[in-house]
Amino acid sequence: MLPELANFCLQNSLFAINDYNCYNPTKVLNRLAKHTDNMIELQSVTRIFPNGVRALNNISLIINPGDFVFLVGPSGAGKSTFLRMLFREDTPTEGKIIVDGKDITLMPESRVPYLRRNLGIVLQDFQLLKRRTVAENVAFGLRVIGASAAEISNRVQEALEQVGLSHKRRMFPTELSGGEQQRVCIARAIVNNPLILITDEPTGNLDPMISQEIMQLFLEINSRGTTIIMATHNHNLVNKLRKRVVALVDGQIIKDELGGTYAYE
Amino acid sequence: MSLANLSFFVNEAGTNMKRSAMMAFITISTISIALVMMGAFLLATMNLESFLQQMQSEALVTAYLKSGFAITDAKTLSLRLTSWEEVEDIEVVTPDQAARELFSSPDDQQLLKIGFGEGNNPLPTTLRIKIKSGSILESLLQKLKIEPMIDNISYGEDLFQQFHGMSQLLWLISLVIVILLGLASLFIVYNTVRLTLFMRREEIVIMKLVGATNWFVRGPFLVEGFIQGLVGSFLAIVVLFSAYRFMLAKLAELIPFFTANIGFEQLFKLSAKLLMMGIVLGISGSLLSLRDISKFSKSSPEGV
Repeated sequence: MLPELANFCLQNSLFAINDYNCYNPTKVLNRLAKHTDNMIELQSVTRIFPNGVRALNNISLIINPGDFVFLVGPSGAGKSTFLRMLFREDTPTEGKIIVDGKDITLMPESRVPYLRRNLGIVLQDFQLLKRRTVAENVAFGLRVIGASAAEISNRVQEALEQVGLSHKRRMFPTELSGGEQQRVCIARAIVNNPLILITDEPTGNLDPMISQEIMQLFLEINSRGTTIIMATHNHNLVNKLRKRVVALVDGQIIKDELGGTYAYE
Repeated sequence: MSLANLSFFVNEAGTNMKRSAMMAFITISTISIALVMMGAFLLATMNLESFLQQMQSEALVTAYLKSGFAITDAKTLSLRLTSWEEVEDIEVVTPDQAARELFSSPDDQQLLKIGFGEGNNPLPTTLRIKIKSGSILESLLQKLKIEPMIDNISYGEDLFQQFHGMSQLLWLISLVIVILLGLASLFIVYNTVRLTLFMRREEIVIMKLVGATNWFVRGPFLVEGFIQGLVGSFLAIVVLFSAYRFMLAKLAELIPFFTANIGFEQLFKLSAKLLMMGIVLGISGSLLSLRDISKFSKSSPEGV
């Protein structure tokens, strides 16, 4: 499956290596070929907070390249902790997390930025810089890796076209609707062509119509090979899309179902 | 650091200073005020030291020769000493000449004839040495002390020692003041950068989310610290030297024949020192504030 996926990605110019100076299709191919079957693997992960709360309890899970996984469950079930661990914002008390073939549990703090450059992160509260234009916000992900001005300009244009906002590139976030702001966040998350997109309640602040538009965008991104893990309370969307559903309750996985529905009770 | 990063840091630093103009103003003023005060003390000390040096170079050293040497021996010695780098001029004073100077008033002439007649004069042959300006008195004294013909040396040591003590005390006070003011301004710079960090917390979180390293996040703050230090010290130099010039002019009016003791080279060196101190203050204040940057970069507080 992997070589086909790699070829598909290459043909669609998806997984450009984030080091622009040495872009090399063979390297991308090798990188995917070397990939174990798992894009993300959690091995008996437990997270206990200093106050004694057990946010995650002995969780094991495998997510394959190209998967679209909904993470559902009631508030306080451990969904956000789960996601935060994937981009090393938090670390497990016990167990191991492997992302893109690397054990990130023991990863030194200095390597975390390089992990995040291969991830796209979209959170519920749009997290846009209000004093910067749409284009500047999207460019942020490229600036931090020292991309050239020409590279930034091209990639930002591409990302904004993908989310349908290239005509609003000079506007400020406050001049955009909630849905548009979330699109800008998605553009910023995909501008580096990430292998994995992690998103926590991306439609939480949006009305149903806009939520559907945003979800459509995620489906398009996923169709090009990006693995998506999305925590959500939006049962309509989960039930409609019938993707893989992982349900968390009290820090434990109570359901992991392909083509599943929101129900976890 | 790539050129793209550097230009990004400079742009960010400029933009942030514009946005947080009040913070930038506080930091720059703090650095300026501290440096003006430090500079004033350093200038005062330098002036006193220079004055002391000038006094020393104008001093007349009197070397008393041991008895038993002929005038010709004294003249030979004087010829040899004239070749020393510290010596400007030497006058050989015979015992007779010394006695005549000692009893120069007409009333003393009789006394001179009775008590200091030929073969009766107890005064030693002396060498009056004028030292070259800018040379070190101490080194000349050391050399004279080991001359076998010289018995004793006199140069107004009490006065010199008093001035020397004052100069050392002033240096010590300057050092303490420089350290205290440095620490005080470092503390203020640290706090203003800390406040700016809180104000820009959201931006830092986003930078870290998209994969910025800690040094990349620190970059604009460090450039900001550098610029503020540079501007602060430049302002301090302008204020300090304007005030110094004004004071010199006033002193020249009040004291006849008053001249400034410090040359351009020394003032230039002091400016360079102040500039360096300003930059070090700006950057180290920022660095101190940024040492725990990870605390500011959590996307949300810990929670389930």
